[in-house]
Amino acid sequence: MRGADYVIKRTAFAVITVFVAVTINFALFRLAPGSAISNLSRVPHATQELREALKREFGLDKSKGAQYAIYLKQLAHGNLGVSFENQQPVSHNLWEALKNTLPMVLLGTVFAIVFGTLTGVIAAWRRGTALEGATVTTALGFYSMPTHWLGLMLVILFTGVLPTGGMANDFLINPSFWTHLKDVLSHMVLPSLTLGLVLYGEYTLIVRSAMLETLGEDYILTARAKGLKPWAIVRKHALRNAMLPIATLVALSLGYIVAGAILIETVFSWPGIGRAVYDAVLQRDYPMLQGAFLLLTISVVFFNLVADLLYFKLDPRITT
Amino acid sequence: MTGLLEVEDLHVWFDLQDGGELHAVQGVSLSVEPGERLGLVGESGCGKTTTALAVMGLLPPSASVAGRVLLDGEDILAGGESTIRPHRWVDVAIVFQGAMNALNPVRTVASQIVEALELHGRARGAQARAEAGELLESVGIPAGRGERFPHELSGGMRQRAAIAMALSCRPRILIADEPTTALDVMVQAQILELLDALCRDFGLALLLVTHDLPVVAQLCDQGTVMYAGEIVERGSVDDLFHAPRHPYSRLLFAATPDLDGEGDEVASIPGAPPRLDRPLAGCPFRPRCDSAFSPCASLRPRLQTVGDRHAAACHLNGVPAEAAR
Repeated sequence: MRGADYVIKRTAFAVITVFVAVTINFALFRLAPGSAISNLSRVPHATQELREALKREFGLDKSKGAQYAIYLKQLAHGNLGVSFENQQPVSHNLWEALKNTLPMVLLGTVFAIVFGTLTGVIAAWRRGTALEGATVTTALGFYSMPTHWLGLMLVILFTGVLPTGGMANDFLINPSFWTHLKDVLSHMVLPSLTLGLVLYGEYTLIVRSAMLETLGEDYILTARAKGLKPWAIVRKHALRNAMLPIATLVALSLGYIVAGAILIETVFSWPGIGRAVYDAVLQRDYPMLQGAFLLLTISVVFFNLVADLLYFKLDPRITT
Repeated sequence: MTGLLEVEDLHVWFDLQDGGELHAVQGVSLSVEPGERLGLVGESGCGKTTTALAVMGLLPPSASVAGRVLLDGEDILAGGESTIRPHRWVDVAIVFQGAMNALNPVRTVASQIVEALELHGRARGAQARAEAGELLESVGIPAGRGERFPHELSGGMRQRAAIAMALSCRPRILIADEPTTALDVMVQAQILELLDALCRDFGLALLLVTHDLPVVAQLCDQGTVMYAGEIVERGSVDDLFHAPRHPYSRLLFAATPDLDGEGDEVASIPGAPPRLDRPLAGCPFRPRCDSAFSPCASLRPRLQTVGDRHAAACHLNGVPAEAAR
C-alpha cells in the first residue's frame, strides 16, 4: 500500500519532536531568571531553614541532571507533578483550565474556518470585482488589528449588551442547566468573536490566494473547455487543489487551540489555559509550566502530523 | 462556401494594468469545413492562441471580444457563456500544449474522461468507465493506465490522454494549441501521426495552432499565417510553401531549418513584431519587410484574393483601387 512508509516515518518524527521539546522545556524554565523558592517563601522573615526545607520538599536541592531524570521518569508514568502554587496535581489544574478554553477557542476557530473559507473562495472567484475589493480590505483590516485592541473595542461597543468579562455570572444561584448554558454562551460571544475575526482575516486571505493560484492553472481552463459550469469547476477541480495549503493552515491553528489565547483571555478575564500559563510564569511554577508546554507541544505536533497525513491523502504526488 | 466553423471579423482586446488596451486580434476571419485541417501559424504573440481560445469563449474576463463565431451558421458567442457552453466538448474540443498541466493532478486520468462523458450525457457509471478505457486504448494507452494519476504518466502519454479526453464526446472540430511543443522529437512525431489518424477515422475537422511550420506541412490542407493580430496570408499549404504572396510568409518559411540545405546558418527575420497596445499606421510588417515600398508606410494592406482559395494582405500584389485613392 502506498504510504505505510510515509505514515511510520512521519509518526516517528513526531515522537522525536515531542521528546526534544520536552527536554528544551525543562531546560528553558530553569534558565529563566528568578527562583521558585523566593516566590514560595514570600512570607515575612522567611528563615534560611524554611527556604532549605522548601527546596528539599520540591526536589530543587538535587542537581539539574537528577531533576531531569526524575522528571522523565514521572512523565513516563503519566505523572505531570504537583503545582508549586496550589499543591494540586498539574494534570488537574491543566484540565480545569483547558475545559474553559476549548469551547471558547473552538467556537472562534470554527467561525473563522467556515466564513474565512467561504469568503476566500468567493473573493477568488469574483476576482477584480468590488466584492473582492471589499472582502480583501475587510480581511486585511481584521488580520492586521492587534488582538487585544480589537477585544477592547468590542468591549466598549458591547458593554451593557453582552457580558464583557468572566465566564459565568457568579450571582446566579443554583441555575438550571439551561440557564447556566445560556449564561456561559453569552459570556463566550465576545472573546470567541475577537479570536474568530482575527483568524477570519487570515483564513480569507490565505484561502483567496490559494484559490487564485489554483484557478490560474491550466486544468481549470480544460475544465471550462469541457463545458463544466463555474460552480462545478470550483467544486470538482479547484477546491481539492486549493485545499492543500488550507489543510495545513487549519491543522496548525487547531494545534494552537490548547495554547488558548493569552491576550484574549486577559482582556475578557477568561479563566483558561492562556491565563494559567501566564500566572505560572509569574510564579515560576515549573511543574505547571512544563505540563502546559508539554500539552501544547503534543497538540501542535499531533496536528502537524494530521496535516502531513491529510496532505498525503489529498495530493497523490506525495510519496515520501 | 458554408463552413462548419466560421469566424467573422473577430477582434479581441485585453485590458492592460495601466488602463490601456491591447488589440490582440484585429479582424480575423477563418473558415473550417467538415473534415478540413487548417493550420494557424505565426510568431509568439501574434494572436493565434487568443483566436483559438476566443472561438471556444475561453478568454479571461480581462478580454473583450467582438465579431462572430458561427457553428453551422449559429452565432455561438452571441449569448455569452449560455450559448457557448452547450457546444463545448460536444462540437468543439481542444487539446492544449503538451507541457501544460491540462490534466488535474489530483484526479485519475480516467475519472477526468468519465467526467466529460457524464457531463454531456454520453454514458454513466460503469459504462462511462468502460468507454473511457476504450478511448485510452484508441490513442495507444493501455486502459488500466487510466487509473493512474497524471504525474505517473510520461509527457507523451499525458498528451495522448488529453487527446483521448478531447475525443470523448465525438466533437466535429478539434482545436489543437501547440499540441507537440515541449515534447521530444520522437514523441512529437507519434502525436502528429495519432492526430492524423484520428482526424481521418473520425472525420474530424482540425484547427491546428502552431509556430512549427513543418507540422503544418505534415498535417494540414489549408494554412493561415498571422502577424500582429491579423491574417497576412491564407491558402492551401502547397501555395503557402511554394508560392507565398506575402513577404512575411516567404521569410517565415525561409527561416525553417532545412535538413539537406547547404546554408549553415538558420535564416531569421530581423526586428520584432510591433506593439499592439497602440494604433498602427500602414502595414504592420513594414519595418521588418525586405521589399517595402512607398504605399506601405501609410496604407494598411487588406486581405485580397490572389488565387484559388489563396489571399494575401500585401501591396506587392497591387494596391487596390479604392485604397489608393
